Amino acid sequence: MTALAARREEARTSFAGRGLPTRRVEDWKYSDLKSALGEAGLGEEAAATRIMGLPQGLEFADLADPHAPAWVAAHLGTLARNAVSESSLAFAEGGIALRVPAGQAIATPLALELSGKGHLRLLLVLEAGASLSLFETGDAAGPRNAGIEIVLGEDASLDHVRLSRPVPGVQVEEIALSLAARARYNAHFASFGGKLSRTELTIALEGRGAQAQLSGVSVLGGDAHADITTHLIHATGNTHSTQLFKKVAGGKARAVYQGRVTVAKGADGADSRQTAKALLLSETAEADLKPELEIFADDVKCAHGAAIGDLDADSLFYLQARGIPEADARALLIHAFLEDALTNITRDDVRGMVRNAVGQALAALT
Amino acid sequence: MSSPAQIETREAVAEIGDKYKYGFVTDIEMDMAPKGLSEDTVRFISAKKGEPEWMLEWRLAAFRRWLTMKEPKWARVHYPQIDYQDSYYYAAPKNTPLKQSLDEVDPKLLETYKKLGIPLNEQMALAGVAVDAVFDSVSVATTFKEKLNEAGVIFCPISEAIRDYPELVKKYLGTVVPVTDNFFATLNSAVFSDGTFVYVPKGVRCPMELSTYFRINASETGQFERTIIVADEGSYVSYLEGCTAPKRDVNQLHAAVVELVALDHAEIKYSTVQNWYPGDENGKGGIYNFVTKRGDCRGDHSKISWTQVETGSAITWKYPSCILRGDHSVGEFYSIAIANHFQQADTGTKMIHLGANTKSRIISKGISAGKAQNTYRGLVSVYGKAKNARNYTQCDSLLIGGACGAHTVPYIESRNPTARIEHEATTSKIAEDQLFYCLQRGIPQDEAVSLIVNGFCKEVLQQLPMEFAVEAQKLVGISLEGSVG
Amino acid sequence: MLEIKNLHVCVGDKPILKGLTLSIQPGQVHAIMGPNGSGKSTLSYVLAGRAGYDITEGAIAYNGEDLAAMPPEQRAAKGVFLAMQYPVEIPGVTTMTFLKTALNAQRRTRGESDLDAIGVLKLVRAKAKALNVSEEMLKRALNVGFSGGEKKRLEILQMSLFEPKLAILDETDSGLDIDALKLVAEGVNALRSPERAMLVITHYQRLLDYIVPDRIHVLAGGRIVAEGGKELALELEAKGYEHIVGQDSIKRSA
Repeated sequence: MTALAARREEARTSFAGRGLPTRRVEDWKYSDLKSALGEAGLGEEAAATRIMGLPQGLEFADLADPHAPAWVAAHLGTLARNAVSESSLAFAEGGIALRVPAGQAIATPLALELSGKGHLRLLLVLEAGASLSLFETGDAAGPRNAGIEIVLGEDASLDHVRLSRPVPGVQVEEIALSLAARARYNAHFASFGGKLSRTELTIALEGRGAQAQLSGVSVLGGDAHADITTHLIHATGNTHSTQLFKKVAGGKARAVYQGRVTVAKGADGADSRQTAKALLLSETAEADLKPELEIFADDVKCAHGAAIGDLDADSLFYLQARGIPEADARALLIHAFLEDALTNITRDDVRGMVRNAVGQALAALT
Repeated sequence: MSSPAQIETREAVAEIGDKYKYGFVTDIEMDMAPKGLSEDTVRFISAKKGEPEWMLEWRLAAFRRWLTMKEPKWARVHYPQIDYQDSYYYAAPKNTPLKQSLDEVDPKLLETYKKLGIPLNEQMALAGVAVDAVFDSVSVATTFKEKLNEAGVIFCPISEAIRDYPELVKKYLGTVVPVTDNFFATLNSAVFSDGTFVYVPKGVRCPMELSTYFRINASETGQFERTIIVADEGSYVSYLEGCTAPKRDVNQLHAAVVELVALDHAEIKYSTVQNWYPGDENGKGGIYNFVTKRGDCRGDHSKISWTQVETGSAITWKYPSCILRGDHSVGEFYSIAIANHFQQADTGTKMIHLGANTKSRIISKGISAGKAQNTYRGLVSVYGKAKNARNYTQCDSLLIGGACGAHTVPYIESRNPTARIEHEATTSKIAEDQLFYCLQRGIPQDEAVSLIVNGFCKEVLQQLPMEFAVEAQKLVGISLEGSVG
Repeated sequence: MLEIKNLHVCVGDKPILKGLTLSIQPGQVHAIMGPNGSGKSTLSYVLAGRAGYDITEGAIAYNGEDLAAMPPEQRAAKGVFLAMQYPVEIPGVTTMTFLKTALNAQRRTRGESDLDAIGVLKLVRAKAKALNVSEEMLKRALNVGFSGGEKKRLEILQMSLFEPKLAILDETDSGLDIDALKLVAEGVNALRSPERAMLVITHYQRLLDYIVPDRIHVLAGGRIVAEGGKELALELEAKGYEHIVGQDSIKRSA
């Protein structure tokens, strides 16, 4: 048996032992996966992945290939380790692995579409000094479980934008990253929810000077649910992280943000900012925020802020006093509320696409 | 770290336990239950207190429930498994032999008292020295009782209230912290042996600040106190709870329950300065403080305010909370939690907004030093009917040294679009330049640390009644001595 | 009063002062001038006893005692005062509380009894007026939200309150406009006395128009490279530091 096959076997056993998380598992308090899935659970089906044109310079490997290159075996299944990740590793028939060799800057963005139902895996390796821009779209036709691992070598840089379409079913995933010294991860997650939608990000800032900038917007209506759960680990000193997540929930929707920042012992000079804000637009919507700090070093700068509220009455009045009807004024302020979480998207064209999707979702909501 | 007296008591009890193998001791002369916890222990305690049948039934129901419960493990505290059968649940203090002079008391303890500015007489009382001759606590209590009687305020040990005011006790006991609430509260319901009952009638502003200090036998309160404070419509009461006597016990369990009820337009202010024995510099000994405190703003326009200064205990597990049931009710939580050496504190609050126009405010200052772990854990939950609810939370952590931990775990939940919740948290350390500035102006290191930390805690200290604030400030300094350098 | 002999100081592994010698008598005002990075602030910190400034060679005698052996708070109690370039903010501690704490801590170290709150208040009020330090400032948290001028005035107020024997003024003129500078200088001049020595550290000659020194020392590369009377400041102003620092030998113009 190859090492990879052994790791898959281990994942199968591990998931069988752990089972699906219930609400009694602290991290899943606001996302009742077990009851959303019902009897069927996540199933054992494998999902499809589609790459829309492979930019030049990028290496590709099929995870189904038992003789995958060494760089695949070195990383696959090493970062993502939660229960649902284990099940995706166990049940995904292959999946894709991509590598940007050392020093390569890929100019063309990589467009990736994740769709269908079932389990899928993705491994992305950026070697030292490599850079890439990843634009991901996708939906889920049924219960979908993705396990994504991203390895960033020294000085590597990844821009990542996720634009999901609203999904009718259950969608869960773990995105696990490891950043070496001075590596940079800049990511935005635009989410419109599902019956249950959960994106869990585990980001380990392993090398000095590593930095992660995360942002995201959620616009939820009907009985949509969207959960963004992040865990930023400042494993060493001089590491930086910022997070800005904005959520709008109407109908009977539920917006969830859980963010844990851990600063390890001795990680002096770690700097972390975390902000999560939610707007509720209906009597039946709900927002749950849990920004968490776990600090084991004293020479750090860590702050978080969270707020749930209504639109600012003064601003609303100001706009109305200038002749803007209330409905338009509200729409304007809601757009403005979300807009500042979009500024983190570096490419103008991509930001435009996200803004459009947000606009459509808001129009449907209000 | 047990005092010789306590060791002696325990040995005596152990011996009796061996002799009487058939359960518990009924001899009226015996003021202690044998080791362990059973229905018999519960019956023994109830009988000792001369309780009516309904109270015993209540306790037994709690005990049976407790047997089915599991100890909570979600807090960030670690301690060896507690053997609940290896403890004493009732030992009347009166049989504890009193020390004859201060010479018999641990000098370290006396040093702390001195620093706190506690007068000699009180030092003796707190240290368990025979003080009847010099300190007439009975007459002190009597003077206050008369004044309170005039106002119609009931302020007495809970066992007395069960006897004298059974209807009032029945009406409120277990209505804020239900018997089934949590493992430690349920345990307390079964075995509580002491505590305070306060009832302030309609429209009465309690003529003085009530304090456990003025209660008879205050220095010997049990490990399982139960306190109930009821403020009837339009009344006001301020209650001070001082645990400024460092206990000498080895890893002793302290599981208190406090229930507050504020009716329409009533206000309760509850202040605690907790300095139970924290264990030594190496983490040996110290109190396990598992406390359930909850206030119910049952009436419209009612207000409950918790202020706590937590410097003691090896382990603190405590979340004084407010249920904001009445419209326009207000809940406040002001907290200073200091953890030094090997202390572990997991403390915070819950603000449950049920009524319309309810407001809450949380100011938490956590200080970690040595190898301690300090966690703020809080919940702000706005329910669907809590129109226009407001919350503001500020959680600041200060770290002294690189071997300790400071953690913030806020849960923020809203189900009403008109509610506004704001939460902010920061983490910082005592800056080297602040310390040097103080030293350069001639202020010694420990005093400088105390000054800076007291500045950091100012917003909370301001909430304490004057004489408590002075004491608390000194405590802040004492509990951090030697933490820098 | 102050005898610094062949002082070598390192910050971390980096040598900053490399053989500085200086002597100040009671009643004298000396100025240390020098370009950025010459070691001026290091000298002030090492005299006040800040941690991280290691003396590797040489000695500092203060009234015959070994200054380096004393912790910073003991130096303060013995009359060493450092008015800092960037006075530190301490949130939550009112200025008045700080002044009282410091004053009584110094008195205690000297074996004197504490002054009560009223005594301190009277003393502070009397001194505050001349320096235009308002009651309102005294009630605010120490240096928090103070303007540059307010911070420096408060430093001088502390100097007048603690009545030091050796006052070190580190870049007291930085961040001040001309009116604020005059006010601070007047405060300092009022404190000149036959028993008190002062060491004024500054980059610019401007401050020395208002606080006129008896001696000027030019510090460069961790050593005194030139010494002279007050006219040396004017020469520096006219010709720049390069002119003097560039010379190898120590210039003595007086």
